[in-house]
Amino acid sequence: ADHNWRFANLYGRGTAYGEVYEGLAKNIEAMSDGRIKVQVLYSGEGVGTTGILGAVKTGLISMGAPFQSMHAGELPAGLVEIGLPGGTSDAAELTTLFQEKGWAPILKKAYGEQGLVWLDPYIQPAVYVITKKQINSIEDFNGLKIRAPGAYGKFLRNLGASPVSLAWSEIYTSLSTGVIDGSIGSNMIDHRDGNHVEVAKYMYPLPLAGAQVLPIVVNRNAWNKLSPDLQAIVSAATTVHAREQMTKSKLWESQAVAEMQAKGLQWSPAPSDADKAAWKQAGAGLWDEYSAADKYSKELIDVLRSEAN
Amino acid sequence: MSIEVLTGVLLACILAAFALGAPVGLALGGIAMAVGYATWGEGLFNVIPTTLEDTHFSFILLAIPLYIYMGQLLTRSGIGDAMFNASQMIIGRVRGSLAISVIFVCSMIGAMVGIIGAGIMTSGSIALRPMLERGYNKRLALGVIMAGGGLGILIPPSIPMIMFASATQNSVGRMFIAALVPAAIIIVLLVAYVVISCKLDHNKAPLDKVPDVAPTTKEKWFTARDGLLSLILIFVVLGSIIMGIATPTESGAIGVVGAILLAMFFKRLKPRMVKNAGMQAALLVSVAMWIIFGASVFSNFHLLMGVQNMVASFTQDLGLSPIMVIIMFQLIMLLLGFIIDEFIIVLMCAPIFTPIAVSLGYDPIWFGILMILNILIAVQTPPYGFALFYLKGIAPPGISMLDIYKSVAPFVLIKLSVLAICMMFPELVLWLPNKVMG
Amino acid sequence: MIVTAIRGYCLGTHALVSFIGNSISYLMPVLAFVVAFEVFARYFLNSPTIWAYDLSLFIFGYIAALGGAFAQQQRAHINVDILYNTVSPRIRNIFNMLSFSLAIFFVAVICKMSIGKFEEAIEFNYRRQSEWAPQMHHYWVMMAVASVLLALQLTSDWLEECYHLFTGKNLLPASLRNHLEETPND
Ligand code: NA
Ligand code: NA
Repeated sequence: ADHNWRFANLYGRGTAYGEVYEGLAKNIEAMSDGRIKVQVLYSGEGVGTTGILGAVKTGLISMGAPFQSMHAGELPAGLVEIGLPGGTSDAAELTTLFQEKGWAPILKKAYGEQGLVWLDPYIQPAVYVITKKQINSIEDFNGLKIRAPGAYGKFLRNLGASPVSLAWSEIYTSLSTGVIDGSIGSNMIDHRDGNHVEVAKYMYPLPLAGAQVLPIVVNRNAWNKLSPDLQAIVSAATTVHAREQMTKSKLWESQAVAEMQAKGLQWSPAPSDADKAAWKQAGAGLWDEYSAADKYSKELIDVLRSEAN
Repeated sequence: MSIEVLTGVLLACILAAFALGAPVGLALGGIAMAVGYATWGEGLFNVIPTTLEDTHFSFILLAIPLYIYMGQLLTRSGIGDAMFNASQMIIGRVRGSLAISVIFVCSMIGAMVGIIGAGIMTSGSIALRPMLERGYNKRLALGVIMAGGGLGILIPPSIPMIMFASATQNSVGRMFIAALVPAAIIIVLLVAYVVISCKLDHNKAPLDKVPDVAPTTKEKWFTARDGLLSLILIFVVLGSIIMGIATPTESGAIGVVGAILLAMFFKRLKPRMVKNAGMQAALLVSVAMWIIFGASVFSNFHLLMGVQNMVASFTQDLGLSPIMVIIMFQLIMLLLGFIIDEFIIVLMCAPIFTPIAVSLGYDPIWFGILMILNILIAVQTPPYGFALFYLKGIAPPGISMLDIYKSVAPFVLIKLSVLAICMMFPELVLWLPNKVMG
Repeated sequence: MIVTAIRGYCLGTHALVSFIGNSISYLMPVLAFVVAFEVFARYFLNSPTIWAYDLSLFIFGYIAALGGAFAQQQRAHINVDILYNTVSPRIRNIFNMLSFSLAIFFVAVICKMSIGKFEEAIEFNYRRQSEWAPQMHHYWVMMAVASVLLALQLTSDWLEECYHLFTGKNLLPASLRNHLEETPND
């Protein structure tokens, strides 16, 4: 092969998501007629979960599928990109936002500044919070200790909950002993894999984020070494990948929910209109804060604002 | 260079560094950087920052400083001794009794911590000196600490078990319960080994000397009270986990506060003691963390070069009978324990091996427990094993690595036999979780 | 003359590294206190802090990294001493010179990369990903300092070994080490 790439993602070898990324790698190899060879690195294989963005920046790995919440300190705009709490879950609306309303060029610039090429983003399913006790109305969140990092933590604090920072591998034990009353998972599949339903039974029906938008990033030097036709091939492969993420995610999410329900998962009762309003309010309160923190975040949120008016 | 050749080169470099007596962590990092520079180029150096952040910002590893500090405070304030003095007052006439007490105390520490390093270094801080001072054979003393202190990953809560369950989509609760019977078997066999070997060789564990003047009732009462208080500290730390006050990692801090309060109560809290405990703890933490960091740099380099693909392709088309496949997996993991740490073995092997084991008709929980038992053995088999290094770190200067290698032999055999027993009789693993969880 | 200068360098390094080693030992109780306070605030006050998580990790990283030079000075880093213990003192000098050289190479790389990360952290205002979002730059400064200290100590030890190899005499008084021997019940 002319180009030997390493491609890191956050998922374990053999997991469903891991196979989708494997598919992207195979696709790039096939479409480039073997001129680009892609070695997939799964969770823990050489680069830690918080290191993916940094590793792509330096070229240690050529391509990465990072999870932006982990990189909030390096690239704050990524948090807005992934979707601030309370954002839309409508895929068509999100696509317009990126492709037509101007998010894509802003993000290309934000990532480009750090030596990264930002390729087509893809959408992963919603973020939900699981709790040990049933949530009957939004007041029940008051005083609950919930494991929720970053923006999700701020959102839950706006609802009166107390966000807690914990290592992922201590969530299960902490839910079981009662150190925490609930935890968010990066999606339903994460809740299922973490076995959270064994120690907490109630899922709150409103998602903290309706959808999560994640990019594929490529090291700029590795990208510039590609001929224009190879660049086009990699871009095309990520577009195929985005579609696959969308269709498969939906399926897997429903499978994960069904599996958890078989183990006793219940939904907390449907929220009232007042609850829904309070939920939306808690999310809207974050816009100013994130706008003020970073120039690219501000540009992205300005687009959202002009949309909302 | 193919990954097979590279693996061979790396292995040869490790053995050379070991022969030279090089500092393990710094040598592993240096080897990875040197071989990496030759095969990959300067770009490989970028593995350093991400690995540093991964190692130093791991909340799970925070158990190491907290528990080591607790152990140092306990031993320097004499609280640790108080515990063993009290136990000796009760069972001191049994040969090897102190080693037996140590096994139980180590198991309780194991119940608190979820990773190997914290368990062994805490147990070593508290229990090694009392045994050596009473004239116990040093190999027996070291072996007991290694065997007991390492149980942290087998007795719940256990971080590797949580990682296995998540990587293979199995129940954590089921894993935790399934580990209880094998853990109990190991503890029973450890105690039996101590009793029998001390019976056969009286030099291993001298009986406590009968004091010239029999202790007064008052002295006995003080010994009992001090012992009881220090035992209560252990229960408070355990209780803080069970009652949901603290996570297993944080409970180490509860232990530190408790140890300081107890030392105050015993009127042993002196600035010099706190200072020396802090200094020794900081030194041990640094030693442990430089090993973990150097080893992580090494394994990250090896993984970026694709060693996991070598393992994965090796497991395909073995053409073996099912049980031989299981045995083969155990051998591979034992060999990997030669160069890779406990977490990476789980991350790497659980998703590769477990689906194959399941497709051959085996229970994934059973296979997971075998994997944990295997890791428990791999980290303490010479020449390369984190448990060995941790124990060397905590051991007094006169003890060489050879002493440690020799000390683990009988205990590794015990654990290997438990691994074999659990392999032959899956009911030992599966009976309890099936009974409790249906 | 040269020997005096070398001895001066070594003694200076020892003093500096001892000072840092002593200083970080005060961080141990601070670390335990921070974690214990988080437990207290969460369980008893029902208001978890946003800072304890990152602060405890920073302290942990400082202790872990900065203690490296002191551990080298005390020759506390773990080694496999099977062959090492059986060879003559002069062969041991050669062994040590080889392994210390490898170690110096490793810490030099760490230092170079840490300085690079520090510059990046300043340029892009790197922070931790948490809600508290503390700055990262000081961590990379600390890592650069920790690796320089370790390199200084390793060089000093290398010179010590070299001196002994050629003269058969000790460059530094033995009393410089071992001031950490076990002092039971102190
Ligand atoms: Na445990
Ligand atoms: Na081993």
